[in-house]
Amino acid sequence: MKPYFEKMTDFGRELKEGQIKRAQENVELVKKTENEIAAAVEKAKNAGFPTEKINARGQMTVWQRLEYLVDPGTWCPLHTLFNPMDNEIGTTNVFDGLAKISGKWAVVIGFDNKYIAGAWIPGQAENVLRATDLAKRLNVPLVWLVNCSGVKLDEQEKFYANRRGSGTTFFRHAELELSGIPVLAGIYGTNPAGGGYQGISPTILFAHKDCNIAVGGGGILSGMSPKGHFDKEGAEQLIEAAKKFKVEPPGSVKIHYDETGFFRYVFDEEKGVLDGLKEYMKDMPSYNPKFFRVAEPKEPKFSSDDIYRLIPMNQKQVYSFDDVLARLVDGSEQMEFRPDYGPEVYTGLCKVDGYLVGCIGNRQGFLAKGYPEYADYSGFGGKLYRQGLVKMNEFVTLCGRDRVPIIWFQDTSGIDVGDIAEKAELLGLGQSLIYSIQQTDVPMMLFVLRKGTAAAHYIMGGPTANRHNAFTLGTAATEIYVMHGETAAVATYSRRLVKEKETGKPLDPVIESMNKLAKQYHDNSRPIYCARYGLVDEVVPMNEMRKYMAAFAGAAYQNPRSICPQHQMLLPRSIKG
Amino acid sequence: MAEKILAPLAGKVFKVYISVGSKVEEDDEAIIIEAMKMETPVFAPCSGTVKEVKVKEGDTIEEDDVLAVIE
Repeated sequence: MKPYFEKMTDFGRELKEGQIKRAQENVELVKKTENEIAAAVEKAKNAGFPTEKINARGQMTVWQRLEYLVDPGTWCPLHTLFNPMDNEIGTTNVFDGLAKISGKWAVVIGFDNKYIAGAWIPGQAENVLRATDLAKRLNVPLVWLVNCSGVKLDEQEKFYANRRGSGTTFFRHAELELSGIPVLAGIYGTNPAGGGYQGISPTILFAHKDCNIAVGGGGILSGMSPKGHFDKEGAEQLIEAAKKFKVEPPGSVKIHYDETGFFRYVFDEEKGVLDGLKEYMKDMPSYNPKFFRVAEPKEPKFSSDDIYRLIPMNQKQVYSFDDVLARLVDGSEQMEFRPDYGPEVYTGLCKVDGYLVGCIGNRQGFLAKGYPEYADYSGFGGKLYRQGLVKMNEFVTLCGRDRVPIIWFQDTSGIDVGDIAEKAELLGLGQSLIYSIQQTDVPMMLFVLRKGTAAAHYIMGGPTANRHNAFTLGTAATEIYVMHGETAAVATYSRRLVKEKETGKPLDPVIESMNKLAKQYHDNSRPIYCARYGLVDEVVPMNEMRKYMAAFAGAAYQNPRSICPQHQMLLPRSIKG
Repeated sequence: MAEKILAPLAGKVFKVYISVGSKVEEDDEAIIIEAMKMETPVFAPCSGTVKEVKVKEGDTIEEDDVLAVIE
């Protein structure tokens, strides 16, 4: 298929001098927001005890372990700011991401041993489920750095039980294993109760000599004969028992290496555990990249720094999506699908790191005169009309047929509304797109470049497509809400305004409420908010978007569950005509 | 030969980046129109010198109005 893929059609334009000059203010705005996000990330990473204190105990921190474990330059963090239950510490006490270990992509996740020895805390189970789901979607190994002191007891009611509670992880591990996806675990420290299952549920266990895993820890064993109250005599007994179990906690290496053999390997040094994981990762199932690559990897012709000038923070300003995409894909080359149809969306085949991906994105600005063809009003990019919806349905379906992973780029204000749009079947075509996505069974990722709004945020491969969307990324310009705050204020208060006016009451209190609601929408849609509550899986600098695309493509093609031979693909033929 | 910059849609002139006598390159952003809550740039159709600018910021315009002339 060389004629199709080796050299595709060039696209994208150089920035003009005037454009560079005019966009300087935008560059500064984007960088200011990115700096705020970076500061929040740094704070999350430094949660808990300082590194020196952990090192003084002879332990490495989770970050030192991760740095030693993953191949340099491949770490793509996810969920760093995720904290949906508003923990004071600012994190869910685990950190995860996509990275290569010994040249193979894996989902890597570790407990933060700097905070209450890596305990379960509120929101963590949801974070872990995102990591296990990601491994499943991409069919890549899950690698754990277990160091989990069990439940944070004074908040257990928030996460211990429930359908998606902390124990769900262990079922997910079993689900991954049943799907042929290995779960490797390096185990450190004391891991009682929930921590014990964190340790035992993976496929192969690499233990540090001082670690233990157990059904219950010393703390429980010390206090397992309740009298209905506490007294001095009981307290003295507890002190003795606690001292004993501190010296020799249950489930140590002596038991689980020498007796049960649960620990496959034991290492004297912390780094030895990581070396063991690295060694195993060399043998994980994976295709040589040449099996799936359609061309040699190439950098885009244009600098990704240009994106800082191309995507305006001002939501009213339009930009060329094609120019953004040209800064992200190999050689700034593409094969556009149906270029003369549905101008509000781009659909096309591109290459990332030599792998074929389908790209879909909202175009911006005024569309051609007479479009949409069913209406007597003008169409603007960002909105979806009949042709765009039909085109995306077709493209997604063909990507599924050809087993091509999809990268979505949203900057959408929604689907066209009103009776004219209803007559044009937009409601049905939106749901058709959901059906089309669901039946593809190919991995997808999403960038919310600016706006993710209304049902368009769902149907364009949004995180609600959670069997397909591997992860969703935001930028400094991201905002996600059901509708713009001012629109919401109008929808909520317009009747009340009419009523107050008719009854001669003052309008000021209503206007104040409208402004309050609009501000609430603004505050609760910013990138850090979106990352904190999981509306996006990470907010990434604009010049690192391609790095995540390459990680996604590399992982998706590492060991796919199904294959379409390149010479049997239909989509490139359909584009060529 | 003179070429006209036409308004692609009705709206309000939000910004005028060109002035009489200034040089422009083809596809340079010349004027921005505000309509439907969006700022829509209008580009120079050719390279040349601006001979005439027929609108100023704040003007209301109709589709196909001549905004400027380039020579």
